[in-house]
Amino acid sequence: MSEILVVEDLVKYFPLGSSGFFDRLRGREVPKVHAVDGVTFSLRQDETLGLVGESGSGKTTLGRAVLMLDPPTEGKVLFEGQLISELKGEELRQIRKRMQIVFQNPNSSLDPRARVKDIISEPLHAFKEFDKGSVNETLLRVMEAVNLPEDSLTKLPHEFSGGQKQRIAIARALVLNPRFIVLDEPTSALDSSIQAQILNLLRRLQDEYNLSYLFITHNVGVVKYMADRLAVMYSGKIVEVAKTRDVVERPLHPYTIALIASAPRLEPERKTGEIPLTGEIPSAVNPPNGCRFNPRCAYAEELCRTKEPELREIVTGRFSACHFAERFLSSHLPRAENGSPDVG
Amino acid sequence: MTSETLLEIRSLTVKYRTRVREVKALDGVNLQVATGEIVALVGESACGKSTLGLSIIGLLPQPPAVVESGEILFAGRDLLRLRESQIAAFRGTRISMIFQEPMSSLDPVYRVGDLIAEAIDVREKRKVTRPFGPFEMTNPAYKDGRDGGFKRVFGVRNPRSNRKRAYSAEVVEALRKVQIADPAKTQEKYPHELSGGMAQRVMIAQALIEGPSLLIADEPTSALDVTTQAEVLNLMRSLRDEIGASIIFITHDLAVAAQIADRVAVMYAGDIVELANVGDLFRQPQHPYTEGLINSFPRQFKDEGGLEAIPGEVPDYHTQIVGCKFNPRCRYALDRCRVAQPDLIEVRPSQKAACFLRYPE
Repeated sequence: MSEILVVEDLVKYFPLGSSGFFDRLRGREVPKVHAVDGVTFSLRQDETLGLVGESGSGKTTLGRAVLMLDPPTEGKVLFEGQLISELKGEELRQIRKRMQIVFQNPNSSLDPRARVKDIISEPLHAFKEFDKGSVNETLLRVMEAVNLPEDSLTKLPHEFSGGQKQRIAIARALVLNPRFIVLDEPTSALDSSIQAQILNLLRRLQDEYNLSYLFITHNVGVVKYMADRLAVMYSGKIVEVAKTRDVVERPLHPYTIALIASAPRLEPERKTGEIPLTGEIPSAVNPPNGCRFNPRCAYAEELCRTKEPELREIVTGRFSACHFAERFLSSHLPRAENGSPDVG
Repeated sequence: MTSETLLEIRSLTVKYRTRVREVKALDGVNLQVATGEIVALVGESACGKSTLGLSIIGLLPQPPAVVESGEILFAGRDLLRLRESQIAAFRGTRISMIFQEPMSSLDPVYRVGDLIAEAIDVREKRKVTRPFGPFEMTNPAYKDGRDGGFKRVFGVRNPRSNRKRAYSAEVVEALRKVQIADPAKTQEKYPHELSGGMAQRVMIAQALIEGPSLLIADEPTSALDVTTQAEVLNLMRSLRDEIGASIIFITHDLAVAAQIADRVAVMYAGDIVELANVGDLFRQPQHPYTEGLINSFPRQFKDEGGLEAIPGEVPDYHTQIVGCKFNPRCRYALDRCRVAQPDLIEVRPSQKAACFLRYPE
């Protein structure tokens, strides 16, 4: 499988406040939020890469940075072999046809005063990718793809339920035949019975249109169902990447272990036990020295407080950014999912 | 399991009435909560779960809400028949509530210590006799506190200047009880300096000051990260064991209900459609909606096949459905379901469902 997206050492800082003129004269450093701090990953053709992490871990920033919506501070983004982080203006605009995004809340991502037909056809107009006769045909095709009735085209967004609005947002993302879509918490604002419909729809569209997804979510259950591979983010860094099954069943990073263990399960017999986590999420302005997770880590040692671990391959295809990842290979830890029968 | 009943709701019907239309938010709901029990109200948006919570604590916005009929018996008294001043005596004392967004429920201009002290102060003031009018506090707690000249200038004691000092021991104790690691430091912080999980703990600490016998928690963990959510759920469970309060836990997340509840009431469009012990509900759901919710919960891997989604949409307030309200989305729907509405009947001990399929022949 070829790689559709390659991200190398991507960094995104947001300066805090304005940097005063005199501050700059004195050479004083402006405090910045280290939203994404050196992230490397790749996404293969037709693959879904899940991106999980808690709020403030930088997942949304990363999603926006790979699309060049918020250009990264440093680092490279290669899309279909082209270095898009260096592109500007019209060249970049042409690339945008092939990459799209679906946002979390369809209530705010759809223009309340535009009819569905205008919302969905806007990308076509923006790229003049149509002749008059084919617009309608294209619209009907995507409406059918997302299971919306034809007569919705003339309606306004408020006439739809949350799930239908998200279908409209997906239709808009599909209309230019993209190769790659960033899905930023696409079901978090939806009811649970609707969430399953949208997830199934996204999986079907992936097969039909040969799409690659970057699926951003905080929900472990959802990402398990959607992703082929899973990247776990913590405080602006990817701390673990591997096949979804490996990450969920045999995590190799203490943060992943805590994250998986705290996801509530549907079985009342298996209560969430003690979470091996202490303290608070570190500040993104002054990240802690050494491993960013060390203040909360149950297994932290002296080395973790001084040396920042690299994301390295522990076993073939399984990457972890923990100095002591090898320890988690042996199964002395409580298995997080489908594990020992700890009914009680 | 059933000890004495603390709260009993009998055929509660609540409507929201505006000039143009009338919407039934609750349609004859019956529910009992025993002492020390955690009951989860589960349902999707607009199913009436928050309305139910608010009616118990007497915080329904009236108008537009109108209580059409029903009784809410709490400790033997019907809360719906009480005057506002009488309900106020229950609210926050015997019955407390915590909300979804801890950040917007905490007053941003007071320090955490003051927020807790205020709750203690309210409780202490109620105990105090006031022989010489409102300014003469004989509360012993006020004796050690100094005033800093506030009384000389304004003629009234400044209650805030003293509270924290007078109650500091109890404030620290209250924060420790909700597992805040460093209470002395935390009480000096403002709400915006707290993380979501910490803020929710402060809310819980506030709600527990009066030692309520019923705590209504409206989506208390929905705004939190999973790791924090797990901690808050563990905390609430251990508090229940410690102080023996009953908890009504409102959530849209079936898995959270599975983790926290003793009994679960599944709501759909203003009705309780299934009411059962948590084990029975997840092992053998009796209502097609519960079954659908469980099946649509993602838990398998991508290569393990698809999810069974419930077709259709959650009914919103202006759709009128004749018969069972779930019938347009139900794959088992019979002719009967499109005509009449089933009652919540006992399918087996400790499990009730409102479905014609479960009716005895």
